[in-house]
Amino acid sequence: MTDAGPADRPSGAETPTVSLRKPRLNRRSVLGAAVAGAAGIGALRLLALEHVQRALPGAGTGEGRPDWLSPLGSEPARVMHLLRRTTFGAMLADFEQAASEGYSKTVDRLLETKTAPPPPLPAQAARNGRLNVGALQQWWVDHMLRTPTPFAEQMTLFWHGHFTSDYRKVGLQTPFMYWQNLGWREMALGDLRSMLLRVTADPAMLRYLDLATSTGRNPNENYARELLELFTMGVGSYGEEDVRSASQALAGWTAPNPRSVDWEAPQQGTFARARAYNGGPLTFLGRRDAYDTGKIVDRILGHQASALHLARKVVQQFVATRVDEPFVRRLAERFRSSRYDVKTLMREVLLSPEFLAGASYRALVKSPVEFMVHALKALGAPQLSRLVVAHAPNMGHVLFDPPDVNGWPSNEAWVSSNNVMARVNFVTAALAQLRSLPAGTQAPRHVDTVLGPQTARLLSEATDDRTRWFLTLASPEFQLK
Amino acid sequence: MPDETGINQLRRRDFLRSGLVFGAGAAGLAAGYAAVPDAFARGVYAAKTNGVVNDRVLVMIQLAGGNDGLRTVIPLQDPRLHDLRPRLGEMSVGQALPISADLGLNQSLKRTKALWDRGRVAIVQGVGYPNPSFSHFESIRVWETGDPSRRQVNGWLGRTLAANYDSLGHPLTACACGSTGVPGALRDLQATLTVINSQKAFGFTGGSEVEAAVGALYRATPGIYGALFDTAMATAQEAIASLETARSKYQAKAEYSDRQELVFASKNQLAAALQLAAELIVTGTGVKLLHVTLGGFDTHYTELARHDDLMAYLDSAVGAFYEDLTAHGVADRVLIATWSEFGRRPRENASGGTDHGAAAPLLLLGDPVRGGVYGEAPSLADLDATGNLKFTVDFRSVYQEILGAHLGADPKEILGGSFAKLGFVKAPG
Repeated sequence: MTDAGPADRPSGAETPTVSLRKPRLNRRSVLGAAVAGAAGIGALRLLALEHVQRALPGAGTGEGRPDWLSPLGSEPARVMHLLRRTTFGAMLADFEQAASEGYSKTVDRLLETKTAPPPPLPAQAARNGRLNVGALQQWWVDHMLRTPTPFAEQMTLFWHGHFTSDYRKVGLQTPFMYWQNLGWREMALGDLRSMLLRVTADPAMLRYLDLATSTGRNPNENYARELLELFTMGVGSYGEEDVRSASQALAGWTAPNPRSVDWEAPQQGTFARARAYNGGPLTFLGRRDAYDTGKIVDRILGHQASALHLARKVVQQFVATRVDEPFVRRLAERFRSSRYDVKTLMREVLLSPEFLAGASYRALVKSPVEFMVHALKALGAPQLSRLVVAHAPNMGHVLFDPPDVNGWPSNEAWVSSNNVMARVNFVTAALAQLRSLPAGTQAPRHVDTVLGPQTARLLSEATDDRTRWFLTLASPEFQLK
Repeated sequence: MPDETGINQLRRRDFLRSGLVFGAGAAGLAAGYAAVPDAFARGVYAAKTNGVVNDRVLVMIQLAGGNDGLRTVIPLQDPRLHDLRPRLGEMSVGQALPISADLGLNQSLKRTKALWDRGRVAIVQGVGYPNPSFSHFESIRVWETGDPSRRQVNGWLGRTLAANYDSLGHPLTACACGSTGVPGALRDLQATLTVINSQKAFGFTGGSEVEAAVGALYRATPGIYGALFDTAMATAQEAIASLETARSKYQAKAEYSDRQELVFASKNQLAAALQLAAELIVTGTGVKLLHVTLGGFDTHYTELARHDDLMAYLDSAVGAFYEDLTAHGVADRVLIATWSEFGRRPRENASGGTDHGAAAPLLLLGDPVRGGVYGEAPSLADLDATGNLKFTVDFRSVYQEILGAHLGADPKEILGGSFAKLGFVKAPG
């Protein structure tokens, strides 16, 4: 492996951090260093790096750190970008198929292919009526790694962070967390109204946000508040009276008795009228009516806030960390006029000029699970799924155990000193378990062969495949999508 | 990085700061660095070159989810508590540890009570802010930024760090222990801090070869996240080196335990996080601002046992931490302060729990504290339109005292205003 610490780093234009040596920086000297860096990157193209087709002289805007040079003008790069964001990264065969089909056909295929169901839960994940969380996590990661329809898994992961629940509160003496996962996969590209009716009566959610113990007389507000704040409208578009009314109208749902259920036959909660609200009129979002669950959901969806809230969240997950409001409004209108059809929303996103704009290139940070799954796919090593489960906690991305009811953070929130180190350690651990590796010349393909100056230089100096894979998977480029 | 603490701290610091500003500079903003829209406007070289120099340390403990103030510092003589909380009220009062005729600490706060008896605990009653938000996330943001108007994006401790300590120069000046991400209170584009989830797992498993390679890899990274990545990696490497030195010099002088059985709480490493904090303090790493979190306080459901367990966990971890600091002779420098996004609704719900509330008491502990009760407890007879307690002390009064009287920083610069004085920190010396 190449050692190029600051002490023995060759002085040269390719290292903007030359500024490190200057005791006092001013703005001019930093900019100068960056520009010199950009020039140096260009020079790298002259090096014998046949696999680096485009070694990034992204000159940025002329001020500040250079930006990535978007390769999205070319069809293969667009297809790669699409697969990176919708399929946990592509294996060579996937890429070749998509590249020959072309971009829009690939979008169609992603959206229209029937979801491959995951295999049944293995026996060790549900022994004696008790869920083994590690085995459940591995079951899902295995499926992410091997499924022929990874887009469904990306969407399931998205909904798992949105309509989230955690196993700690839901409990392990029930199949409820497993059922919830099956539910979001099944409904991943369905319509929001059905999802909202489903999530309200979802047994895991009934426990996680306490609706199972709420009553019309003395409601528990937990579910009603998060339904409005996180699942649909967003904070600021409703008032405290709406939370109170919704919590009264929604009370009465009960989770199935876990002792008398078939683990492979998911059920919904049932409505217990005795605990429900007495049915008298309530004021909710400005209208007085006798509300029940269906009417609450319809009233919410009659308001434009939910479409905006969901569109914004989808943009941050799939397009860019900075949300372009006109784009969000456009998506929201389409979403609403399609009767909240998620497939329509996703098609609109993936076919939008914004998705393929230069500003969207490498504008998202992979979540830890996305990063680890992509890395193992790139290495052709789905058998290492246990490593994903083992390394997730130190990156703060434990499946079925989100940090709070808001699910997981995104993008820049994933970048901390702890987490950049933890990602490198995952790569080290994965490589250490593999005796043979795919050809190292393949590695940069997973980062579009658009490389920063340091990555390009180190890769060009690498003399063996192990080092090439390490540098690629541990690189900042690979952390982005 | 080959040298952990020796050479070029200032240079490193300058580099890190420049790098960060770069990330959010014109190019970064054009490309949309959403989290930090005003960072560039604040000026590249706004940070002081000569900051505050003293040996004071602050440890903030976040009780995430909204801690029930009425079960933490319990009103003993108010019959309305029983009316509002038929299931939760009686047990709380009957088993409370009295600290005066009217007030008792939660029965699980045994070590805290012992510290109270020695004048090492300050209770600030009725802490909150105007027009309270009942959203966890919005209220957390208010507390983290110190700004109830929701305009500020940087954390109050991040701003403190950038304005007062940054030039002292190493990333362990501020550290989030037991966390994988940067807590909002410490976030500031011009501040560098370390995040250590677990001391055991903090280091490169591939050894020096891997460390050198990634040190070279994370340099001059282009794009909107470039500076963020490079700084995070440089910070990790420096912190690993400091931690190695610290580890060899530190021996815990108290029993820390994370074996507390907690229902639901997803983070179960408060004691380990505080032990790491103690290690950083006693070994002279120069740490000033520490942040740890205990989750699980969102007690909408079967609160009685759950909340007592959380209190017991907090009590045991903080008790061990204080004992350790005392045994190492550094307790006089360290202020421990709890915070939570809100208290809970005085009236209990159908699930034997409580919904999101507003004002609540805060606990401050340690030798720098002047023990006693500060502020006025809100009246259970005078709830607001949402059925919640009306705040009597602005939370920024607490921050102001921590910043000014304890850390020796300028609170007005950080908080943008002056607030009522409380006096819970002893005069230094």
